[in-house]
Amino acid sequence: MRVSVNGVEHEVQSPPLASLLHVLREELEITSPKAGCQQGGCGACTVLVNGEPRRACLIPLGVVAGAAITTVEGLGTPDELSPVQAAFHERYAAQCGFCTAGFVMAATALLERKPAATREDVLEALSGHVCRCTGYIKIVDAVEAVARGEVQPEQVEPSFEPEEAEVLIPGSPA
Amino acid sequence: MKAVGARLPRYDGLAHVTGRTTYVDDVRIRGTLWVKALRSPHHHAGITRLETRRAEALPGVHAVVTHEDVPKNVYGHLEALGIPADEPLLAEDDVRYKGQPIAAVAAVDEDTARQAVDLIEIEYEERPAFFDMRKALDPDWPTIHPWGPVYPHYGPYNHRRVRKGDVDGAFENADLIVEGVYRPQAIEHCPIEPQTALVVPEPNGRLTIYSCTQALYFSMGVVAAHLEWPLNKLKFVGGTVGGGFGGKVDTASETICAVLALKAKRPVKWRWTREEEFLASSTRAPWHMEIADAVTSDGWMLGRRMLTLHDSGAYARFSPYGLTKHAFHHTGAYTIPNVHFDGFVVFTNRTPTTAMRGFGVTSVSFAVETHMNRIAQELGIDPLQLRLRNANRIGDTTANRVVLKDPSTVPVVLAAAERVGYDLPPEYASMTAERRSGDLLPEHLAAQQASADGGEA
Repeated sequence: MRVSVNGVEHEVQSPPLASLLHVLREELEITSPKAGCQQGGCGACTVLVNGEPRRACLIPLGVVAGAAITTVEGLGTPDELSPVQAAFHERYAAQCGFCTAGFVMAATALLERKPAATREDVLEALSGHVCRCTGYIKIVDAVEAVARGEVQPEQVEPSFEPEEAEVLIPGSPA
Repeated sequence: MKAVGARLPRYDGLAHVTGRTTYVDDVRIRGTLWVKALRSPHHHAGITRLETRRAEALPGVHAVVTHEDVPKNVYGHLEALGIPADEPLLAEDDVRYKGQPIAAVAAVDEDTARQAVDLIEIEYEERPAFFDMRKALDPDWPTIHPWGPVYPHYGPYNHRRVRKGDVDGAFENADLIVEGVYRPQAIEHCPIEPQTALVVPEPNGRLTIYSCTQALYFSMGVVAAHLEWPLNKLKFVGGTVGGGFGGKVDTASETICAVLALKAKRPVKWRWTREEEFLASSTRAPWHMEIADAVTSDGWMLGRRMLTLHDSGAYARFSPYGLTKHAFHHTGAYTIPNVHFDGFVVFTNRTPTTAMRGFGVTSVSFAVETHMNRIAQELGIDPLQLRLRNANRIGDTTANRVVLKDPSTVPVVLAAAERVGYDLPPEYASMTAERRSGDLLPEHLAAQQASADGGEA
C-alpha cells in the first residue's frame, strides 16, 4: 500500500487494519504523532490527511491509501519555522511538548481554511485536544496571534529580548 | 538575577514545535520487544494459583516474569530513609488493589504480548474490599495490610503528631469554637505521555534504562535495590518527560522492564495504555481533615485541634513523607500558639497514592484557607483582615518550632488585595512582616515569640 507522508511516497508493509499511528511511528519512524490515549480522546496523534486534521490512532491504514499525510515534521524546521510553530515557540504554548504536535497540526489546518480565524474559531478547532501543562490560554493566544498577523517567523530569534523585571511582591529578590 | 522576569526562550521549545524532541517512546533500538502485564482484576484477593507455562510456550514470547524472577521483590520507595519495605514489585500471595501487577510478558509485538498475558493461568480467592478511610480505626475493620489499618512507624507512634502550647487552655478561653471538615478527593495526574520505559541489556553486562521518571537518581536506586545490583551497572537516560505532575516520581515501569530484559536478553519497552494509567498509576490522595479552632470575638486565633486521615491506598510508597509535610503546614501561613495535630496514613484497597503538585500541602492549604473564610464569616469580620492579623511575622515560632526569619504572608496578602482592587483600612494596608509589637502583640502571642537576639521561644 502506498501513502505520501510530508511529500515523500512510501510503500508500506503494515496490514490494512493497522492504525495510521502505528504505521507512522513503528514502520516509518515518524515519531511526532504521539500515542497518548489511542482512543481518539487526547488529540496528541493528530495529523493532516489531505489537509484535514485526523486522529491517526483511529484511522486504519487502508482508509488513507494514496492520501497525502502531513505531520509536524513536514511543516518547518528549527531554522525555518512555520507561523504556527513560531507562535507556539515564542509565546510559550509548548511546555512538556508531548501534545504540541497535535495542537500545531489542528491549528495549521484551521488557519489554512480560515486565515483570519476568531478566538471562538480557535477554541472550536482545538477543543478535542488535551494539554495538562499550559492551561490552554497560551496555546489559544498563540494561534490567535497568527490569525491576527502578529507572528513573523523570520523574526524569531534564538533568544528573546530581555524585559525589565516586573516586581510583584515588595521585598522580593526579583 | 538577569533571568528573573526576563523573557527567555525555552531551551527545548524549538524541538517541541518541530516534533524533534525524543521522548522514551520515540527511542528506536533494533530488536525491541513489547511488554504487557497481568494486572489484578480484583480490589482485594488472595492468589491461590499462578502458572505461566502456556504463556511462555506461545510463539513470539521471549520472557514471562513473576515475583520469583525478582531478586528482591519487596521494596519500599522510602527504604533508603529508614521507612520499612512493604510493596512487592510483582504480587506474590495477595493483591490489594485493582490493577496491581502480578506477571509481565515480553514478546515480539503488543498483540502477542497481550495474548500471552491471557494465557497465564491464575486463580484468586476474592476478599472484601475497603475504601472508606474514616472507618480504618473501627474495631471490626479488616486487615488489608500486615502493618494494620494505619502506617505504624512514626517513631513510637502510629500517627504523625504535633503538640505545642496549652491547647485545652486556649479552648477554655475562646469566645467561639469554629469547626470544619474538609475532604479533597483523589486526582489522576493524567500526563499526556503515558508511563513508558525502554530497557536495553548492553554487551558489558550493564542495563541502559530510558525512563520517563521525574526523579532519575531516585528511580535508579529503586531499580538497583530490586535487582540487588550496584548503581554503576545502571545507565539511566531521562530528563525528557511528557508531563508528570508528581505521578512520575514513583518508579512504575522501569524495574519490571529491567527484570524482563535480563531474562529475555533483549531490549524491552513497556508503554502503558490510557486504561492502565487510570486504573493502576498512582493518584493524588483523598484526604479527610477535621479542624476545630479556638478564636476570640475580635479575630485572634488562640488554638487549633486538627485530625487528618491520608488515604495511602494499598501500600505506603511516599505517603508517610507526604503526611509529614502536611503536618508541618497544618497552621497554614498563620501563627497559632497552641496546637494539637494528629495525622494518620490509612491503608485501603485503592490504587496507592503519591505526590502531586505540592505533595501533602495543597490539601491542608485548601482546608486551612477555607476554614479561615469560615471563621471570618462566623465572627462577622473581614476575611483578609483576619488573615493579616494572624499572619506569620518575623520572630514568630511555627507549630514545629521553626523561628521565622522571612515570612511572606503579609506582603503576599497585600499584593493579592491590590491586584483585585480589595480595599483595606490603612492600618492593614500598611502592614509589613516586621516583628509583632503593640496591638499586634497580644498576651497570647508573647510567649511564642523568639527573643530579639534570635533565641527560640
